[in-house]
This record gives sequence, structure tokens and C-alpha cells, in this order.
Amino acid sequence: MNIVVFIKQVPDVPNIRIDEQRMTIIREGVESIINPLDCVALQAALELREREGGRITVLSMGPPQSEEALREALAAGADKAILLTDSAFAGADTLATSHVLARAVSKLRPFPDLLLCGMQTIDSDTGHVGPQIAEELDLPQVCGVNEIHVDGDLLVLKRLSEGFLDTIRAPLPALLTVSKELCPVSDLSLGAVEAAFTQKDIIRWAAHDLGLHPDEVGLAGSATHVRKLRQPAARTGGRIVTGSPQSIVDALIRKLESMSILDEED
Amino acid sequence: MHLEPSMKQAVIRRTVRKFAEKRLAPAAIEMDRTGRFPWDIAKEMAGLQYFGLEIPAQYGGAGLDTISYAIVIEEISRVNAAMGLCVAVHNGVSASPVYVFGTEKQRELFLVPMAAGKKIGTFCLTEPNAGSDASSLETNAIREGNEYILNGNKVFVTNGGISGINLIFAGIQTGEKGKKFSVCIVESEREGLEKGPTEELMGMRGNPVCPIALHDCRIPLENLLGGEGEGLKIALTTLNGGRIGIAAQALGIAQGSFDVSIKYAKERNQFGRSISEFGAIKDFLADIATRIEAARLLIYRASDMKDKGLNHVRESAMAKVYASEVAVAAARMGVQIHGGYGYTKAYPIERFYRDAKVCEIYEGTSEVQRMVIAKSLLNE
Repeated sequence: MNIVVFIKQVPDVPNIRIDEQRMTIIREGVESIINPLDCVALQAALELREREGGRITVLSMGPPQSEEALREALAAGADKAILLTDSAFAGADTLATSHVLARAVSKLRPFPDLLLCGMQTIDSDTGHVGPQIAEELDLPQVCGVNEIHVDGDLLVLKRLSEGFLDTIRAPLPALLTVSKELCPVSDLSLGAVEAAFTQKDIIRWAAHDLGLHPDEVGLAGSATHVRKLRQPAARTGGRIVTGSPQSIVDALIRKLESMSILDEED
Repeated sequence: MHLEPSMKQAVIRRTVRKFAEKRLAPAAIEMDRTGRFPWDIAKEMAGLQYFGLEIPAQYGGAGLDTISYAIVIEEISRVNAAMGLCVAVHNGVSASPVYVFGTEKQRELFLVPMAAGKKIGTFCLTEPNAGSDASSLETNAIREGNEYILNGNKVFVTNGGISGINLIFAGIQTGEKGKKFSVCIVESEREGLEKGPTEELMGMRGNPVCPIALHDCRIPLENLLGGEGEGLKIALTTLNGGRIGIAAQALGIAQGSFDVSIKYAKERNQFGRSISEFGAIKDFLADIATRIEAARLLIYRASDMKDKGLNHVRESAMAKVYASEVAVAAARMGVQIHGGYGYTKAYPIERFYRDAKVCEIYEGTSEVQRMVIAKSLLNE
């Protein structure tokens, strides 16, 4: 089973800081890591390869320093790493990103059996990229899976949704986005990190390698444009209301009325 | 001149920090309290190649450069100095000389299980009457047929209680008075090797330090590391590298002390505001952070010179003396920042304070390091 895992390098901060003027995430002085759910996707790929055989290719679109994330994926056990990097890719929204990633997948021979990615990233958190790649490649997609079984040419998947446990059958090839419940991520061996940097190669593809015109990638190829970006207000602690049930209800209603959430006439 | 860690070194640091915070930080308290070595965690570490850091891949090691090695030791020691000590001594002064001075057969026989973490190593130089003064060693070896017979007492053996392979420094008797200072590889299961009780230490309590006695302990001639009389060369070469490991360990203690102290300073309120707003606390933090950065650069410089095959005697000694004194200062200031709570076991800073002190003593005291530095300056 040949598997592609999409990974994104993201800033390692619990609370992302935003440059409201330039409308970008502040990356200076912040360490970059592989998006944690992409690590889960990679781990799932490693376990599938263990059972089913095949090869794992990791794909990432990003600036040259994304090489670090790909090398880390090689250290974890990926067979091949491809970095999609080109100054023309800068400023891409999720659609333009998916377009580049999908084109890179369509260049792979043989065409992969399974495409995996995290269900969302910790920086932009849209959850768009996986589904958009599947749409562009016209593949079946299942999002947020927490169990993967392979039964011949069929995938048997489980996912939690709104208190239900879905069991889904999907044909191969398919694209899955994974949730953190899928599997715990293994620790890296230090020798594997050393080898990933000293003995392995990163393949680099630019727009022209993918036969993409500058107009269909990056900012130019984006369907959405950011008009305004602001840091959400920090959450303030709540107030705990105590007393008898009746006095608590009265206090809550008064509070909601004062905030104009409840209409006084009601 | 590049003063930034490479991409690889950044990944190494992140990898070790993640593992150390998940597994070694929680274990540190129990190790300190009970003195028990956590074999289950050590086995996990063995699988991740922490016991073969600089050993080439062909012998099962990770094949890291020395800066990466220092980063690994720093990150372990940042949360668990006793484990940092175990790894630094095993790799830096036990596995490393077996690799550098060992024959191919010795590498197969001893180095491979060491790199796999199946045998933990020691470096047994110190004796009751010989510490800084290595020339007054009393342990001796007599050649008889195809064997050496060893007799003597080694003390303060780091990793002693858990070791499988011991490098014993001994004088091989030649004629009436002559002695050739040499290194013998002695497996812990050899008859005549006896380990004494674990020392009750002030700090580093998770590392079982103990005496090792040798009574007519027989080893085959092929267990001699290097040639007869090469002990001094092996000791000096090994300690030069070993000092980088201890310096990195001290750096980890300093960084760990700083990290818990700045966190505490931000959280603790007095007089209606965070104590981090007070000038005295700011001075402490600025001073510790500056000295930590200076120690780190000294360590990287010595490591880089070692990797380039340059003489790094002075630089290693400078890194070791400076980093160990920074560790003690950082832990002391850290306790002060914590105030009364810093003197309790509710916070890890008191353990850092106890752990830090020995960095100024072992693998060459601060006084010996200064002698080494001064000698190299005056001989120029």
C-alpha cells in the first residue's frame, strides 16, 4: 500500500500571535514543528506500512525551511520526502495550497493508494486542505477518522461524530483526515534523526516542475483574500453564582437581561 | 562563524526535550526520593539510542556530533540531572574510550552491548587515596599466563550499582618496582569484582554511585584497553571529552533551574503584584540567563573543536569550570526567587541546588580545571 502523508510546518506556540498590520502569523523567534495531527497521520501510515507493506511519501508545501519538518518525517520512518517550494506559492489560501498539493500527488507514479493528513492545523485551523485535495483529485474522502482497517480493496473506518460512532466503508484510493484519537505518536530515535539529515535527500518541486502557471498558485491563485486579521480577546474568567436554585436562576436572568441577551418582556 | 544550531541540532533538542518532559521529569522526584534507578525508562532510552550517542551506526550507536551530544545531555539534565549523569558518564567516559582505543574485537564484544544500552559503563579512576592526584593509584594488576590478576579499591563509581562494564585504571606490575598505568575492561559478573553499598549522596541521588573492590579478579589479556602503559593517555583523552558532557549536564541543571524559577516569579504575587516586577528578581533572572548563554557558547566551542580534531584541553576545562559554577549559581538564585517554598520539596528547585554542587567536584574539580587552564596559558 503506497501512502502519501501531507504535513505542514506550524509555529510551536499554544497561543499563536498575529501581526494585525501585515495580516500574518508572527513566526520570528518561534520554533516550528510538524502540525501535531499530521504526526498522527504519519504514525498511522507507519503502522499501515508495517501491516500492509508499501512506501510512504511525505509532501509539504512551504518555504525552504520546511525542509526541517520533512527531515523529521524521514526520521520517523517515511521513505521519501518532497518539498513543494517556490516564491510563487507565497500567500496561498487553502484552495491554492490544495491545488499545488493535488498536482504533486497526480505526478506520483504509481498513484498512491491512500492519502492521509491531520484533520486541522494548530495555526490556521480551517480543516479545508484535505477535503479540497480529495475534491480536486476526485477521490472519496472521510474526515476525522480515529480507526483505520484495511480489508482487501476496502477501508473500514471509524470516527466519532456528535456522540455517535460512525463505521464507514470506503474504496481505495481515498483521502482520510485523522483525529488525535487514532494512535499515539512514537518517540524518535536519535540515530534516525542523524540519518535523516546526513543520509537522506529531499526532493524539491517548484511551480514549473508541476506544470503550474503562476496565476493558479499563491496569492494570485487564491479564491479568498484576508481583509482583516485580529487577535481574539483573551478569555476572562467566568463568575460562579451560588445560592438556592431560585436565587441562582434569578441572578442569571438579571445578568442575561442586563447584557440584552434575554428580552425583559419575555 | 555560525552561532546558531543547525536544523538537525534543533530537531535533536526538540526530540529529547519532548521525551525528557514526558518520561524523565516525572521520574526525577521518585529517583531522588528512593535512590532507585528506573530500568523501565532506561530500556526505552536504549531503544531510542541514548546509550550510543556518539558511537557510529555500525556498532549500533546514533553517530551524533559532539554539539548534538551536548544538547542531548543538557536536555536530559534540564529535568533529571541524575539520568543526565548516567548517560553522560556511560557515553562520554566509558563507551567513548572503548570505541576510540578498543580493538575491533573489543568493539564487537563490549561496545555493541554498551551502545544498545544492555551494558551500562563506568569509569573507575578514583580510589580512597587517589582523586585529583591520579599518580598515586594503588590498584594493581599482575600478569599471569594469559590473564591479569587485579587487586584494589575504587570509590565513588558513577553508575556503579547498575554497571555491566567497568573501565578499571590499574598499574600493571613490571618487575620489582615498575608499574605501567593501564586500563582494564572488567565485566561486572567477573569473579573477584564486588560492588559495595550505594553511597548516600547529597544530590544526584537517582544515580547509584558505589565503591567497587577487586580481589584477585582475573581477566583475559584481551580485556586490556589500548596497550600496557597507555592508561594516562586514555585517561587524559577521555576526560577532555568527558568534561564537555559534565559541562552540558551543568548547563542543563542551570537551564532547568532558570526555567522553573522564571515560571515561579511570574506566578507568585506579593504586595499586590507579580514578584517578577521587582528589580531584585529581574536582576537575578537577567544575570542567570546571561551566564547560561555564555556557558552554552563555551560548550559548543569546545565541542566544535573536538569534532574538528583540534586540541581542546583548555576549552573543555573552561566550559566545565564555568558551566558547573553557573549551575550552582543558577540553582542558588532559583531557591532565593522561590523564597521559603524553594526550601521545600514541593518545588524541584531544592533538588537542582543539591544536584548542581557536585558538578564543581567530579571529573576534575574547579580547582583542577583552573590548573589545566593556567598551565595551557603559561605554556604558550
